[in-house]
Amino acid sequence: MSELIIKNAAVCDPLNGINCEKMDIAVKDGKIVESVSSNADTIDAKGKLTMAGAIDGHTHCAGKINVGRLMSPHDMRMNPVNGLSGLQPATSVTRAQAGYNTPNTFALGYRYSKLGYTTLSEAAISMMAAKHTHEEFESIPILDKWGLTLFGNNWQVMNYVRDEEPEKLAAYLAWGLRATRGFGIKVVNPGGGEAWGWGKNVTSIDDEVPDFDVTPREILVELAKANEDLNLPHSIHVHCNNLGKPGNYETTLDTMKIMEGIKAARDRQVLHLAHLQFHAYAGNSWREFESASTQLADYINTKDHLTFDMGQVIFGPAMTMTADGPLEYSNARMLHSKWSNKDVELEDGAGVVPIVYSPKSFVNSVQWAIGLELALLVDDPWKVMFTTDSPNGGSFVNYPEAYSLLMSAKKREQIIETLPELAIDRMVLPGIDRELSFYELAVMTRALQSKMFSVDTIGHLGIGANADIAIYDIIPDKIDAGIEHEKVKQALSATSYTIKSGNLVVQDGEIVSSPRGKTYWVNASGRVPSEINEVTLKDIQNNFRKYYTVAMSNYVVDDHYLPNPIEINTQEA
Amino acid sequence: MQKVTLTLREKNRIPIVADSITPDNFAGLSDRDIEQIPVWHGNSQVFLGDIFEVVVDGSDTAENVVIEINGDVSRIKRIGQGMTAGEIIINGNVDMHCGCTMSGGKITVNGHADNWIGCDMRGGEIEVNGNAKYYVGSGYRGDTTGMTGGKITINGNVLDFLAEHMSGGEIHVKGDAGLLLGLANNGGTIIVDGDATMAAGEMKKGLIVIKGTVHEMLPVYREDGTEEFNGETYRKFTGDVNIRGKGTLLIK
Repeated sequence: MSELIIKNAAVCDPLNGINCEKMDIAVKDGKIVESVSSNADTIDAKGKLTMAGAIDGHTHCAGKINVGRLMSPHDMRMNPVNGLSGLQPATSVTRAQAGYNTPNTFALGYRYSKLGYTTLSEAAISMMAAKHTHEEFESIPILDKWGLTLFGNNWQVMNYVRDEEPEKLAAYLAWGLRATRGFGIKVVNPGGGEAWGWGKNVTSIDDEVPDFDVTPREILVELAKANEDLNLPHSIHVHCNNLGKPGNYETTLDTMKIMEGIKAARDRQVLHLAHLQFHAYAGNSWREFESASTQLADYINTKDHLTFDMGQVIFGPAMTMTADGPLEYSNARMLHSKWSNKDVELEDGAGVVPIVYSPKSFVNSVQWAIGLELALLVDDPWKVMFTTDSPNGGSFVNYPEAYSLLMSAKKREQIIETLPELAIDRMVLPGIDRELSFYELAVMTRALQSKMFSVDTIGHLGIGANADIAIYDIIPDKIDAGIEHEKVKQALSATSYTIKSGNLVVQDGEIVSSPRGKTYWVNASGRVPSEINEVTLKDIQNNFRKYYTVAMSNYVVDDHYLPNPIEINTQEA
Repeated sequence: MQKVTLTLREKNRIPIVADSITPDNFAGLSDRDIEQIPVWHGNSQVFLGDIFEVVVDGSDTAENVVIEINGDVSRIKRIGQGMTAGEIIINGNVDMHCGCTMSGGKITVNGHADNWIGCDMRGGEIEVNGNAKYYVGSGYRGDTTGMTGGKITINGNVLDFLAEHMSGGEIHVKGDAGLLLGLANNGGTIIVDGDATMAAGEMKKGLIVIKGTVHEMLPVYREDGTEEFNGETYRKFTGDVNIRGKGTLLIK
């Protein structure tokens, strides 16, 4: 079938230990192969930086983002990033695009592709809304997707944790992943979402969840153990308690420490901490607010059981959206902003609040610094995933801005100079002169994701990998990213070529074709003994009869919601 | 000086979106060129020449372009959207979003205006010698910043939600205003010569003067003595106290 050869590429492929070496890449039938025939189409990369397609391991691209769209019709016209935001009319290949923080589904697909991204991990599938999430996945063109299913405030989970029934817990999780066609276990403010149903929250991992007689600590540990029992490809993916509160770094440290004893079923972390920036605050009040990135980085540098993502803040308008209902209520009150709240029956809650991160605000400036500090203070890039928690810290279209901040101390210095003095006192960023290389950037945006989600066909360019390739208009050995940071930002904002499963989708920053992406899901039911499965199913049916407003038959995501599925069976692995 | 006269050939029932009718777009163009500017008529694309008879006299830069529109354009939207200079004179009624996001120049409507005239206005001037409907000089849906500059004068009455989210500029209504004028304002000046109902909720900043009667005054303002405005004495109210607003509402 189709053959392609990319010649003279400066390949940066950390999983195969290749650091910007000139080589050719052969592609056949959507996979990377040893060699191709002389009839193959040729792309001359002319020494340009070539990496595997990037993977956004924590983004809000389907589901809750719709609430953001409903709340911000004006977002449609926002155009702060030229070429990657605002209204763009349809072309012969693309559908019409609109928006910035909450772009339409088509714009999501096209704009991520222009940045060289080929796979997205939706950070939170609300179980009851899973059908809708998959419908949205289907309308995001080009990219492959998967989603992490929310379990941290689920009644049945908390009941099994309290009753010390780990087998049933694992059976329920396997059922839940299948019912939602999810990829992994997401935990958001464990226990806090349920407490919010009573107008309360939890403030440490040892607070009791009202009426359930469990603590966030127990929920976290039991879910982590079940995660490994089921041999899931990803670890538990945790949004800690106390997000966004001064002094919350202690809760974050506690969460990391309780996972030290968990044994990983695979060669990966046992805990992924989402958007760590929002959990790295010291001080007892907003007035005393300061960065706690040193405290967290010191711990992370000595341990190997966890990974985290940055949750970098980008100055300007953003849209916070999370399953952390109580947090969004306090955000809305503090910012005098619009507020949307969701209560998802027996499962969790959610909230959406627009926000503007201002470089004039001392708190926002320190937040901006913390994301960068965490990425730069943690020595091993294989623990740091690059994100802005899009669109919570800022829209994904700003990734190149954040890349160039990580790669240039000079650029950071120029921005720090303009920030409030109080903010500069409360951050540690001014003392950090580390600059990331393209190799380290490739780790944080591609290679690490392949490892932490245990998907060995993406995130690298070795033989047998999916032919997801991004070629940027940079000659790596002829540029000093520390000085020419603006040039780096421009080049990383629009690929020369993006190739998705062997198809050329972006050429010179323009979409040239728009194939459909695939959806990954994890089938762990083979790890559950059938007798356990039967009793658990009875409990589930009982819950549907007693509490849910929908019938179980209308709840489960059927096959036809995933026209291009990739099933990962944990029995086989 | 360049004068462009557009005369409507036939009144349309299906709306036309004519955001291309601006002095900026017409500057230096001949009648042939202008006739070939595309516009949307419902879901199909047509050309200005299909809709209007176009007569051009002279050729000049945008600030010296005067566009005169004759005929009932009450189903032609977005005339003058985003204009930065020059002048548009509309001899008839005009449809929604006229002068939306304009930042300079002047629009005169010798007739009635529909909803959203001057919404998101940044500068320039609009004068309506008739009535206007809802959301005069308001912000775009969802946005918290509406009109930030310029001046709108309505010589007749306006309906509800005048100047929602206004944060700069000036609006003068010589007739009456409807419900909830100046909602969630954050600056600017609104003067209503006639009556108004439930004026100025959630106001953070700005000045609203109502010379006629205020029906159903919202109970969210603190009375703060009296204040002179243009030689007349008014009762002064400050608020909206619910959101610790510092807006001023002057009432007879």
